[in-house]
Amino acid sequence: MKRYILSACLLMTVAAGLAFAGTHEQVQLLSAFGPEPSTAAFKEFNAAFTGDWQQYGQTFTNLQTTLFGKIFLYVITLLPAALLLHFIAIGAKSFSHTGKEILFFNAFCRFIHWLAALFFTLLVITGLMVVFGKYLGGGALVSMGRSIHIVSALIFSGTAVIMLLIWIKDMLPMPHDIAWLFIMGGYLSKQKKPVPAGKFNAGQKMWFWVATAGGGVMAVTGYILFTFQYPTDTLRLSAIIHSFLGAGLIGFFIIHLYMSLFAIKGSIKSMITGYKPEEEVRILHSKYKG
Amino acid sequence: MARVKFLCDVDRCIDCGGCVVACKEGHHIPVGVNRRRVITINQGKPGEKSMSVSCMHCADAPCIAVCPVDAIYQREDGIVLVSKKTCIGCGYCFMACPFGAPQFPSDKVFGARGAMDKCTFCAGGPADTFSEEEKNLYGQNRIAEGKVPLCAGMCATKALMAGDADQVSKIYSERVFKRGSGSNAWGWDKAYNKK
Repeated sequence: MKRYILSACLLMTVAAGLAFAGTHEQVQLLSAFGPEPSTAAFKEFNAAFTGDWQQYGQTFTNLQTTLFGKIFLYVITLLPAALLLHFIAIGAKSFSHTGKEILFFNAFCRFIHWLAALFFTLLVITGLMVVFGKYLGGGALVSMGRSIHIVSALIFSGTAVIMLLIWIKDMLPMPHDIAWLFIMGGYLSKQKKPVPAGKFNAGQKMWFWVATAGGGVMAVTGYILFTFQYPTDTLRLSAIIHSFLGAGLIGFFIIHLYMSLFAIKGSIKSMITGYKPEEEVRILHSKYKG
Repeated sequence: MARVKFLCDVDRCIDCGGCVVACKEGHHIPVGVNRRRVITINQGKPGEKSMSVSCMHCADAPCIAVCPVDAIYQREDGIVLVSKKTCIGCGYCFMACPFGAPQFPSDKVFGARGAMDKCTFCAGGPADTFSEEEKNLYGQNRIAEGKVPLCAGMCATKALMAGDADQVSKIYSERVFKRGSGSNAWGWDKAYNKK
C-alpha cells in the first residue's frame, strides 16, 4: 500500500512539474550560438536607463532651459508695466465712501482671505526665489526659500479648500459673465456705467477658480515633486505643469493686487472692514442682491 | 589635458558589482545614494549582458542647462561637478539626466531632499583640493593624486575604463578588433585568405 501511495505522489509531482514547465517560456537554445550583436543589447540598455528621455526628458530640458525663466520674467515685468499703462491712461475708479455701506465679507471670510493671502504671497516670493535662484547665488538662502515654499503650500492648501466651500455658490459662472468679459468689466473706460456682475464679477471668478482648482493642481504636482517617489516621466510632467500654472497664478495674483490696491480707490477696505460703499456695489456689482 | 570619458565594455562586464562597492566604500556614500549602478538585461537567459553606469560627464550636459542656481559646472577636462553648497536639491537635474545619475540623500526634516550627489570621476569638488571639506562633501580626489577613478581601478575584468578619451577608445577598438569582426573575423584567414 505504502508503495502505491509513494508512486502516486511521485507521478503527481512529475505531472505538476511538467505542467509548470509548460507555462514557462521555452529557452531558445539556438540563440546561445554565436555572440549576440552588441547593438541589440545597447538598445535594451537605453530602454533601461534613458527610457522615454527623448519624449519628456528632452521636452523638460528644452522648456526649462529656454522658456520657463522667460515666462516668469515677462509675468513679473511686462504685466506690471501694462497695468501701469492702464493706471496712467484710465486711472483709478473712485466711489463715494460717505454714503450707506453694504456688508460684503463677514469676519470668517476676511480671516480666511488674509490667511490665504499671507501664505500665497510667501508661495509666490519663494517660488520666484527658486526660479531666479542663480541671481541669488543659490545655497542656504534659496534652500530656505524652498523650505518655506513647502510649509506655505501645506497651509495654503487648507485655506484654499475653505475658500472653495464658502464662496463656491457665488463663484459659479453666470450668463452675464460673458457680457462682463466683452466690456472687460468697464475697466477700459472712465465712465461709471453699471457693470453686469453679481457678488463677484467674471474676473474675480477667474481668479478664484485659478487659485482654488489651479491651487489643487499645484498642490498635487508639488507633492509629487517634493516626495520624488514617482516614475521619472511623472516628475518631468509635474515640473512642466507646476511651472506653467505657477506663472499663470502669479499673473492673476499681480492683477488681483492691482485691482484691490490701485484700480479701485479704497477697495481694499472692503476686505478689512467687510463693507463696500453702496455706489461701488451699484456700479461694479449691479446684479448683487443683499 | 584632453577630455576624460567612461566606457563600459558590455562584452566584459560580469555584474560582479565591484565598481559599485569600490565607489560606495571609497567615498563613504550614504545608504540610498548610488553614484554608480550595474544593471543586467536578459538575466539567466542566453544573451545576458551587464552594464555599469554612473554620471557620463556629458558634453553639453543637460543637468548644467536646467539647474536653476547654476550649481553644476564642467571642468576643462570634461568632468561635471556639483557644488553642494550652492545646490538647493530641487531635483531638476535628475529629470533632465538621461542616465539617472543625480542622487539625493533624504536626510533633512520631513524627508526633504538634501544637496545632489553624483559621480565626481573621483575628482573631488569645488572645495580646496585634498581639504577635509572636499573629502566630507565629495569624497576622494584621486584625479589630483594621478590615479584612475576607483570603479575603473577596481574592475576585475577591465570592462570599465576611465581616462583620456583617445586612449580609452583606442583600447576598446583594439579589443573589438581582436574579438573578431571585419577581416579579423573567425575563419576568414582560411576561408578567404585574409589576415
